[in-house]
Amino acid sequence: MPSDGSRSWPAVWAILRKECRSEWRTRYGLNAALLFAVASLTAVTFAAGRLPDRPDLLAALLWIVLLFAALSSMSHAFVRETEAHTLLFLRLVASPTQIALGKLGFNLLFLLVVEAVTVPLFLLLTGAPPLRWAAFGAVLGLGTLALAASSTLVGAVIAQSRNRGALFAAVSLPLLLPVLASGVAGTRAQWDGLPVAADARLLGSYAVALFAVSLLLYDHLWEE
Amino acid sequence: MIWRWGIFVWIAAAMAAAFLWAPLVPVLQETTRVLYFHIPAAWVTVIALGWSMIQSVLYLWKRDLRHDDHAAAAAELGLLFCVAATVSGSLWAKSMWGSYWNWDPRETSIFFLLLIYGAYLALRGSLEGDEKRARLSAVYSIAAFVAVPPLVFVVPRLYSTLHPDPILNASGRVDMDPTIRLCFTAMLVGFTFLFAWLQSLRVRVSRLERRLAT
Amino acid sequence: MSAVAVGVRAEGLTHRYGRIRTGVARLTFAFEGPGVVAVTGPNGSGKSTLLRILAGLLRPSEGSTAVTLDGRELPRTLRRTRAGLASPELAFYDELSGEENLVFAAEARGLPAPARAAGAALERVGLARRARDRVAAYSSGMKQRLRLAFALLHEPPLVLLDEPASHLDEEGRAAAEAAVRDAASRGLVLVATNDPEEVRLAERRLALVARGLGDPA
Repeated sequence: MPSDGSRSWPAVWAILRKECRSEWRTRYGLNAALLFAVASLTAVTFAAGRLPDRPDLLAALLWIVLLFAALSSMSHAFVRETEAHTLLFLRLVASPTQIALGKLGFNLLFLLVVEAVTVPLFLLLTGAPPLRWAAFGAVLGLGTLALAASSTLVGAVIAQSRNRGALFAAVSLPLLLPVLASGVAGTRAQWDGLPVAADARLLGSYAVALFAVSLLLYDHLWEE
Repeated sequence: MIWRWGIFVWIAAAMAAAFLWAPLVPVLQETTRVLYFHIPAAWVTVIALGWSMIQSVLYLWKRDLRHDDHAAAAAELGLLFCVAATVSGSLWAKSMWGSYWNWDPRETSIFFLLLIYGAYLALRGSLEGDEKRARLSAVYSIAAFVAVPPLVFVVPRLYSTLHPDPILNASGRVDMDPTIRLCFTAMLVGFTFLFAWLQSLRVRVSRLERRLAT
Repeated sequence: MSAVAVGVRAEGLTHRYGRIRTGVARLTFAFEGPGVVAVTGPNGSGKSTLLRILAGLLRPSEGSTAVTLDGRELPRTLRRTRAGLASPELAFYDELSGEENLVFAAEARGLPAPARAAGAALERVGLARRARDRVAAYSSGMKQRLRLAFALLHEPPLVLLDEPASHLDEEGRAAAEAAVRDAASRGLVLVATNDPEEVRLAERRLALVARGLGDPA
């Protein structure tokens, strides 16, 4: 855990608030992410048409759109620091773990905002059957946690490399495929009237495992 | 020198025995022969990945670049063997089941391993500076380790329920005829030594490269 | 704030960039606070590298460094909490104001009264009037003052300044000088510079002569 002893949470919280404020002031990250999500959503739903009786396809398409939205926007939090050269500033005021946790919180909020726009639109455009809210919420929530955990770690690594844009998707994909698979299975199950417990458990344990391993790895991110 | 010849002779002998001496597996018929190559290749793929990940942990712990040499070399070789396993498996699938790719659980697993190798090597290629490259690729390698159990064990089973595949994957389920088992084990051992030898060569090259540059 | 006995040491310190280019070569020294040490040397001799290593941001290729407070060694990862660094590469968030940047820094560092600390630091470097403006609108001189304010924000016992007077006008230099003297009365200040005026502020000197990045010799 954070090497600075007891006063770690104020730093994480301060970083999270700073991220939100910076994002709000510039907004290009969120705008781009929302535009991309809506664009891919439109393309997918236009091509597929209304699918009220195909929960299997609906689940797959929804998660593909979410995955694309995450892949296109999640590297943003760290790449922004690299491009503005503010990483030195951050490293002087907070430990690597505090920085990463702050960014993780931000990525999570960011994803939730994107999902809040994307998911309802998707349901509307495809004429999806009504959701079992608790089950769907569990699957989506846990999947989002896993997406955020993975994107934070990979984003921090990628921000220090050369071909940042193209690389993020390729490098993230192996880590995100389990989320895709369980997310699709769980979403489909809740539409089929089946229990989502198994898939939710998988997503949850994967998210926890990723997060736990990340905590051990954050300290090595910027130690030159 | 002796290693190179020893391994060559061993594998050649094992292949010859497999082709000429060992019987065919009834359900597989002539395609039996692929299992002597395909499964050892897949086996090495997995060992290489494991070795690479262990070396990544060691690098982060000890900060000795020799561990990074091992991790990178194992990943390169692992990719090679993974491609070999995937292609041979695909050809086998074509002759057995009529199509090159079915998203069968094992096919899916090996494909995921291919993705992990590809991502790791792509990442390495984009990082500059020995220490930075070693450190960050080690971080990624360890993170990828978390994804391996779900990808290799869980997801393929999920896929098989999403994409029902009525055809059973015969290898591994079949009780092997003792002769087959002998040749097969010999090939397994041979491939493992092949990997170890190639690995040592590759690591030596990395070390020489580094010494030349300083 | 009572003075803490602070010391820095290096032994056989060497740092290489890439495979060949050397930033710092076989450096050994020991300094105790309070006071000012000028770190001088030709461009590329590793002055900036040395400051980053002392701040705990960079792990040297060979050798070791130590920062001691009251006789006890401070772990490398905690050095950033008791050291202040101002260097030309230090950049702030353009979309936030100078004050917001410093308040953020104070909050992240866990200072008890972030707003007050930020305000005081800005006063000390003469940026109080422009505190609410976004950093994007700052001139290079103002950004340099902000860097100094940031380095001194948490009143650290060890202050590392890389070319503190660059971009500063007369008034700025005077403020910087005053800040350095103030910090030096409470702890150790290392100033990396070739500016003779800045060198004059120091009683001690560390001259780097090793082959560095830009050294053609």
